[in-house]
Amino acid sequence: MTKRMWMALISLAGLFLGAYLTLYKFGVIGTLACNVGSCEQVQTSRWSVFLGVPVATWGLGFYLLMLTLAIAGLQPRFVDSRRLSLTMLLLAGWGVLFTAWLNYLEAYVIHAWCEWCLGSAGMVLVLFVLALMDWRETPEPESDAA
Amino acid sequence: MVKASKKASTSNRAFYLIIALIAIGGIAALTYASTRPNAVVNASPVDTTLPKVASQGYVMGSPTAPLEVTEFGDFECPACGRFSVITEPDVRKNFVDAGKVRWRFIDYPLPMHRNTWQASRAAACADEQGKFWPFHDLLYQNQDRWNGEATTDPDKVMKEYGRQLGLNSDQFNKCVDSKKYQAKIQAHLVLAEQRKVQSTPTFVIGDQQVASALPYDDIAKLITDALAKAGPAATGGDTAKPVTVGGAAKKAK
Repeated sequence: MTKRMWMALISLAGLFLGAYLTLYKFGVIGTLACNVGSCEQVQTSRWSVFLGVPVATWGLGFYLLMLTLAIAGLQPRFVDSRRLSLTMLLLAGWGVLFTAWLNYLEAYVIHAWCEWCLGSAGMVLVLFVLALMDWRETPEPESDAA
Repeated sequence: MVKASKKASTSNRAFYLIIALIAIGGIAALTYASTRPNAVVNASPVDTTLPKVASQGYVMGSPTAPLEVTEFGDFECPACGRFSVITEPDVRKNFVDAGKVRWRFIDYPLPMHRNTWQASRAAACADEQGKFWPFHDLLYQNQDRWNGEATTDPDKVMKEYGRQLGLNSDQFNKCVDSKKYQAKIQAHLVLAEQRKVQSTPTFVIGDQQVASALPYDDIAKLITDALAKAGPAATGGDTAKPVTVGGAAKKAK
């Protein structure tokens, strides 16, 4: 399993997590499964929407994009693409910053934790580490085959 | 080139198989989560030894409706807010307005919500001027603007809502400032505790009690089942002698 494969698998899991929370946000799922913390308090707070779109939906979009990039990165044409590695690294870095902001809100503003959000935070962090390793291992541009 | 060949030599077929399995599993889990009948799973028979609900709270609908549904709710509870905004309009339209259900709301202010007592008291003040339900709806629609995370002066927001609804401001503001209905809300709280309500929203529908922000299909089924059980001759709901639960049994904010 390459790092990009792991990234694709994690992104797919994150995609379903984002879809689950998005469906809840749109009222399709009545009650969130939540054994630890206060998922509903977090998911229905005013910070659960960013620029008019539910944060969960932003997450879904993030994971979908990351999944697409990771799978594209497995194709022979892009397998050694440093540009693609850099794109994934920047995307994952943005994800880490966004997640850090959400975790700050949970800890100091909402005063409640959502286990699904924490799970997503863990996945984003792992994605970032994998993206960083992938970027460092991918050959410099001058060695790219045209 | 070595790294490239190493990456390329990885078994893509096995990888795509795993991806496909996760995708199928994920879709199945989402389908299950979005279609599972929560209400039926969580509903439990009402303990008939508990105090009857009558002449308490706020009532909407025909006094002769064959069924009474009681909601124990907290104005600051997000799940109650979601139910009120998403589900309740359809319940009102299809059951309350149709004369099939009489809907009773009883405050159950939860201790972790900082501004819920102020909201309940203000709603009682609105009731004084015949505007409980519009105020109820306004509170839930704007929950994130007055809750404990949004403001430390909820009474100010309540007074603004009173103005929005065209209430007599002098009367309403005085009512809010004097905490006129504190005892009434405490009575509701005591009643909820006597009924062994543990979370909000909790609904009593016929002989079933369910603690969940039910989606429409689930609550509609419970109501329809209760109506079928009640039959045409039913007088509906709890019609026992009103429970006297006055006085402050629990320290409130």
